Amino acid sequence: MSPDPANNPDPKRFEVSRATLWFDRFMGWAIRFGGIGVIIAVFGIFWFIGKEVIPLFKPGAVVKAAAVKSDTAPVILGVDEWGEMPFFYPGGNKVVFVDGESGARSELEVPGLEGVKVTASSYDPLRRRIALGLEDGRVGSFIVAYERLFVDGEAKGVKPSITVEPWFTLKNASGAVTAISYGDAGSARIMAVKTAAGKVEVIRLGLKGGLVGGKKLSVLAEVDITPEIRGEVALLRASQNGQMLLVADQTGKVSYFLADSSGVTKRQEFTPFGGIGLEQMDFLFGGVSAILTAEDGSQEQWSLYRKNEEDERLFGMTKTFPNIGDGPVTFAKSQRNRTFLTGAGRTLSIRHSTSGAVRWEGEADIDPAAAILDAKGESFWIASETGEARRFEIKDHHPDAGVQAFFGRVWYEGGAGPVYQWQSTGGSDDFEAKLSLVPLIFGSLKGTAYALLFAIPVALLAAVFSAAFLPADVKRIVKPTMEIMSSLPSVVLGFLAGLWLAPILSDRVPSVMMLVILVPLSALLTGYLWCRLPLAFRNRFEGGNEWMIVIPFLALAAAIGWLSGPVVEKIFFVYTEPGTGKKIADFSLWWPQATGTSFQQRNSLVLGFIMGFAVIPVIFTIAEDALSNVPKNLTAAASALGANRWQVVWTVMLPVASSGIFSALMIGFGRAVGETMIMVMATGNTPLTEWNLFSGMRTLSANLAVELPEAPVGSTHYRTLFLGAIVLFAMTFVMNTIAEILRQRLREKNKLV
Amino acid sequence: MPADTENERFATTGRSRKGEPLVWLTAAGLAVGVIMALGLFLLILVKGAASFWPKRIELFEVKRGETTEMIAGYVTQTQERKDAEGKLVEELQIFRGNKDVSGEAFLYLDVRDIVSRSVPENLLLFERLTYGPAIGEAVAIETKDGRTEASGDILDELIHKSEETRAKALHIERKQIGKISAEMEQIGYDLKAKRISEENAAARKAELEKDFTKLKAEADKLNDGMAATNVIYKIADGRERSLPSGQLLSVYTPNTTGFFGRLGEALRRAWHFLKEDPREANTEGGVFPAIFGTVVMTLVMSLFVTPFGVIAAIYLREYAKQGLMVRIVRICVNNLAGVPSIVFGVFGLAFFVYFVGAGIDQTFYSEKLPTPTFGTPGILWASLTLALLTLPVVIVATEEALSAVPRGVREAALACGASKWQTIQRIVLPASLPGILTGVILAMARGAGEVAPLMLVGVVKLAPTLPIDGIAPFIHAERKFMHLGFHIYDLGFQSPDAEAAKPFVYATALLLIIVVVTLNLTAIIIRNRLKKRFAVSSF
Repeated sequence: MSPDPANNPDPKRFEVSRATLWFDRFMGWAIRFGGIGVIIAVFGIFWFIGKEVIPLFKPGAVVKAAAVKSDTAPVILGVDEWGEMPFFYPGGNKVVFVDGESGARSELEVPGLEGVKVTASSYDPLRRRIALGLEDGRVGSFIVAYERLFVDGEAKGVKPSITVEPWFTLKNASGAVTAISYGDAGSARIMAVKTAAGKVEVIRLGLKGGLVGGKKLSVLAEVDITPEIRGEVALLRASQNGQMLLVADQTGKVSYFLADSSGVTKRQEFTPFGGIGLEQMDFLFGGVSAILTAEDGSQEQWSLYRKNEEDERLFGMTKTFPNIGDGPVTFAKSQRNRTFLTGAGRTLSIRHSTSGAVRWEGEADIDPAAAILDAKGESFWIASETGEARRFEIKDHHPDAGVQAFFGRVWYEGGAGPVYQWQSTGGSDDFEAKLSLVPLIFGSLKGTAYALLFAIPVALLAAVFSAAFLPADVKRIVKPTMEIMSSLPSVVLGFLAGLWLAPILSDRVPSVMMLVILVPLSALLTGYLWCRLPLAFRNRFEGGNEWMIVIPFLALAAAIGWLSGPVVEKIFFVYTEPGTGKKIADFSLWWPQATGTSFQQRNSLVLGFIMGFAVIPVIFTIAEDALSNVPKNLTAAASALGANRWQVVWTVMLPVASSGIFSALMIGFGRAVGETMIMVMATGNTPLTEWNLFSGMRTLSANLAVELPEAPVGSTHYRTLFLGAIVLFAMTFVMNTIAEILRQRLREKNKLV
Repeated sequence: MPADTENERFATTGRSRKGEPLVWLTAAGLAVGVIMALGLFLLILVKGAASFWPKRIELFEVKRGETTEMIAGYVTQTQERKDAEGKLVEELQIFRGNKDVSGEAFLYLDVRDIVSRSVPENLLLFERLTYGPAIGEAVAIETKDGRTEASGDILDELIHKSEETRAKALHIERKQIGKISAEMEQIGYDLKAKRISEENAAARKAELEKDFTKLKAEADKLNDGMAATNVIYKIADGRERSLPSGQLLSVYTPNTTGFFGRLGEALRRAWHFLKEDPREANTEGGVFPAIFGTVVMTLVMSLFVTPFGVIAAIYLREYAKQGLMVRIVRICVNNLAGVPSIVFGVFGLAFFVYFVGAGIDQTFYSEKLPTPTFGTPGILWASLTLALLTLPVVIVATEEALSAVPRGVREAALACGASKWQTIQRIVLPASLPGILTGVILAMARGAGEVAPLMLVGVVKLAPTLPIDGIAPFIHAERKFMHLGFHIYDLGFQSPDAEAAKPFVYATALLLIIVVVTLNLTAIIIRNRLKKRFAVSSF
């Protein structure tokens, strides 16, 4: 028999089983680990988004990658598109190629140049065309081509070749050609030449179809423009689109000629730098802007634009770059964006024309006589008079990014002044990306402002009534109804806004105006009349049902407002057709005529109303909670002191709950700013910076939804969109945090009372 | 929340007139808010339901200059339009179908141009596979043996037969041929990764190709059979048209059917809307893939969000030391619920798709590169993104539920010798389960209605395959999917024929709203029950 358990308990009976303890500890750690992990993961989101943005703000970097030597002084330096094998053209009948890796030297002969002296040459890196002017008055060009070589399927090395194009003899001039520039757009080409006698001529070339043997390059016209240039010509530059020519004279005056099928006409004469001679002048990629450098090292960008809508496109100074310093000027433009390499003496810098920023600046260890950027913009070569050459790798993935580009006014090519503009993609290769986030931020704020303009009054009035006057049993139904409204998918709201409401409202703006005036007025009037009814009658009704009693009156006012719209339109909004003088009562026509701004069907009015569905419940719920939680002893005390019901609300409830109401507004703001689908569907998505009620906007959120799926991963556009996401996030997060802190304060304050 | 009695505080309407109009203004505010909420639901309900309701087809005689034109169709909308004088005129939008004849299925008629309107009994509505519905009178059935007069029974039989044949052909094309092409693709990858020899691959390929030719022939035969019989019908302007029986989906007599018949037709259309695949750039057919995609995505999302959200909440409430740090974390988590959904989408694209997905591709699917498998938007990434988005909802709800469990109950459990985890597991979690459930349902409702982030991480306008199907490995987490919300956006704003799509947009919106509101109502009801329960059990 065992001893009586009651007298002699087994001590182990009170011990917790090992398994339980272990399990408890295990679960404790598992939950800590999991919980902290989840929280870290959630905040990791923002770290990750931030990480994508950081490269945008990194300055460019340049690394020296190779040094080779050729025995020729380069008049022209060129390179293949991979930056592997530069060529040196000293101005004779030979082109010297040097392999960038091994330093191996090879030569190719330019046929047809034996015994003739080359007196002028210029280089177009886009087509790798060297234009030549000869001692005997002939002009022509040859093209250096590179072929990629493959070993075992892998790219290894390049093979150069030379193609010579036909030579032309000048008809109107004779003697040596002393300067030449070649502008080539494939079908339309021009050559600008200057002869030793001081004559300047423009030669238009084109492909002429022969009956046999296909098309042949021939001279279409040869125009003497000497009379139109007063001074001695210093620099000649034809644009890559084969239509424009800039001629700078010794005094620093620049003339702009346009060459097309109707002839060569002088369009403009301008004096950059106030009359200092020019050292350098070249068009940038795209051919709309030119970079000019003066003898004193100051550098400016001149672009073609229309000063007014009707004017023709002329050059005007759009940007000033930092002075490059003293010394022989080096210049090379990019062939894929608006970056250029420039410098004086050994100091080199990479600059970007859109933002006007210096992306990199550094010293070279040789005195550059010529420089060239490769086609991809990943490296550049410089070469000295002695034939020394250096290859530098450029690590600058986002040259067009920067604080100025995102948040500042930028003078884009073709524009009449610095503007905030967002246009991330364009039709052609030479498109200049306009990446200002300001219009998008403005759009977000505009959409939010109009949404709140409608939502705040309705939501706060409703919250006040619900908290102060509504019977509890009705509130139990009304409040969830409003809450469910907030869960309405925004895509449904957006579709209603864009496809249902916008077409209805576009003809009915005056009606809406009347509604906005009449509906609140009718409520006030109902109240005014009600309290003039005999007290005996009024006492028969319980308070708290006013919101239902007022509905028929509101409906009546709404009906009157809606129907009176066309009448009001006929009186106030009559549009006069400019041509015929016919008068039409139409607000959508009247508005642009009267204000000079546009009227769009998908406008802020529609948006503000529909956004109300998303924002009202948010503000209502939080404000209602804040008002309901006002301690009862405060309101009771006010009533006991003789305040009527409105005075209790106005003097006690609203001040006490004010911080809660404020936090409700903040949360409402956050919801409105981040709203995406309604914005995509109801705003027209045009990036504008005007407060016009009848135009749309493009918001940060909508922009993300529309553009991010199309943006190439890692591109400037992609990262800029991420920056937009961060701005959006910051806006809402700051607002929400303020709101949350205010709410917690309020809770504590009410506790004390 | 004030108790019931507190709200009697201003039981009388007040004897003072001061400020009374302002009270009425607040009343108007509430009235406007409630009318907006109910009005919107009502609008969607009416418009959505109306999109299924069969309308009477009318025959219009319309003035066209000197002559008149006969147009058959039903009125879809009456609207106002300003004419050149700026006067508002009434205008009818009429659906006349027969897109193959007239190019446009819709037409606008100025009311002043209509000479006469009638409702002829013999006008029929033919639903077709392509070009949308046709409207006309049935004339005859034409086979290679000649014409026989069309009657309702014959047409019904024809429809029934072609439905069966189509199902058979579809089965062959989708299932069997689909299987073959999947295997072919796999062989290609195996070959690239050198897992099988070239001879084996060639042999298997030849075998598969033989099967394919056989099945294709079978399917073609079925399809050809349906093309042999034609239905001849006459449209309003008197021209005769012929329709292969394989194209005919249903025939409906709108003008002779009574109320219940029309109700039946509406229900039939609603049912087809739910179960069928979309046709004609999504403007015809049904939305089944979108429903399926929405459901699968929401379920997968809740599968992720529930455990993580609950664990995080338990940690914050039960394990973490309550102090400034936890308070800050709590504020931040609360705020995350207010972070725009598109920001989560941006993150999902960068992290899940381009970072994790591309990593998975490099490691496991390198033979398919450069075609991405997981390195492209898909349903898994969409679910994960939405799980992150809804995580704060679950955390907040769970925390609330945990803190609502009375302290006494916990202490009782601990006093009985239960360990901390045992207390949580046996007492706290069961007690807070309804609260957690509320959170999860709210999260599902939010997730189901969210569209913006999905546009970045996996939704498409038309997915040829479902994310779960009968071809191994059955669950295709990398596939793109369709979604009801995106369907609305796409139909309304990207569709080539926005007018034709409108009824569908309303119907889809109704469906989505029903889903979201049902989920929300469930959550609210559970929450109210929960309140009552704790009101009793607290001590």
